[in-house]
Amino acid sequence: MGVGFVVGVFGGLVLAHAAYSTIQYRGMLKIVEEEFSGPPMNVVVELLLGLALCTWAGLAVPAKFLSILPDSDENRIVYLPANLDFMIFNHRGKILPTNTELKFKI
Amino acid sequence: MVGAAEEAQLNRLESQVDNGGGGAREYLCLVRKLKARRSEKVLKHGLSILNDPKSRSRLAGDEWTLYEQVAVAAMDCQRLDVAKDCVATLSKKFTGSLRVGRLEAMLLEAKGAWADAEKAYARLLEDNPLDEVMHKRKVAMAKARGNISAAIDFLNKYLEIFMADHDAWRELAEIYVSLQMYKQAAFCYEELILSQPTVPLYHLAYAEVLYTMGGLENLQAAKKYYASTITLTGGKNTRALYGVCLCSVAINQLTKGRNKEEKESSELQSLAAEALLKDYKHRAPEKLPLLTAMLKNMKARPLILIFFSKK
Repeated sequence: MGVGFVVGVFGGLVLAHAAYSTIQYRGMLKIVEEEFSGPPMNVVVELLLGLALCTWAGLAVPAKFLSILPDSDENRIVYLPANLDFMIFNHRGKILPTNTELKFKI
Repeated sequence: MVGAAEEAQLNRLESQVDNGGGGAREYLCLVRKLKARRSEKVLKHGLSILNDPKSRSRLAGDEWTLYEQVAVAAMDCQRLDVAKDCVATLSKKFTGSLRVGRLEAMLLEAKGAWADAEKAYARLLEDNPLDEVMHKRKVAMAKARGNISAAIDFLNKYLEIFMADHDAWRELAEIYVSLQMYKQAAFCYEELILSQPTVPLYHLAYAEVLYTMGGLENLQAAKKYYASTITLTGGKNTRALYGVCLCSVAINQLTKGRNKEEKESSELQSLAAEALLKDYKHRAPEKLPLLTAMLKNMKARPLILIFFSKK
């Protein structure tokens, strides 16, 4: 968790630096009076690097992802609940002996 | 709906609490959430919490829900003294409450005093004519007294008002199956599949009812529903795999005399047989010879087995 977090922060800083360099580049273009066609090559490389680092951190930092497929091993429905609204009490278990020591003491 | 992970968690908590580790409160909460019917365990562990004033005070708001849960579990285990005490405590705290009134009537039911319980429900229903749980208890009472046709009548009237209650549709389907009225049971299962199409167990039950009814169209529909169960469970449901094999065999037997071109491909059957073999090899290798013998028999001389829908 520590490594992923640090990598994520680093990726954010890289993106911020890329934004700052683009602003400086545009300032420089204003001085030279040229059109702004696109950021320079190294800013593009920096952007891609920041993207990769942040994506990696975003997947590594949270804990184990939960499964969403209904037929995956954890989520598949194994049995239906016992329909307790229609439960009846005169079943065969009535005559089975229960632990008479269990008493309710207030 | 109980998923596989939830069932594993429930069993783990149960063995943990049984062997003396803590976690009784989480176990009882999980049982309440999954609506499992484990009355003996609930009674034992619930009473151990309630009898200990320290853990009872730690429960705070949950205490009264626990009283209700333990009362119902006691009624199920036929410990009516414990149930009466719990209900008395609840009625002292919440006098004149509908929920406690329902519990008192349920206690009369558990005692076997059917007439008194009926009077109690009638009185409660006068004040609250649209209470679902009490209508359902009336059905349960009729079923407990053995009067199944009255139970069906009550349940049908209930479903005319509360059409979206899938528990009630399920109960009606099971009653019809127990009376062998398969067409009506099929109708109930169709309603269930319409309202909840992603629950594979409804598809499985519907397929089994269709298979039991027999006849070529029903068998073909049954095969389709077994196949959809296999899709929805990711191939893990052994019963559906068997169902596909048997349906194909029965259909082949019925269409033996007909045109060879109209016969469906037997891909589905061979795939299902393969999946079954793999599953048995993995989980129960000592039963594998039984399975291979049965599959060979099915190809040589088809048998028709009747499946009963039971849980």
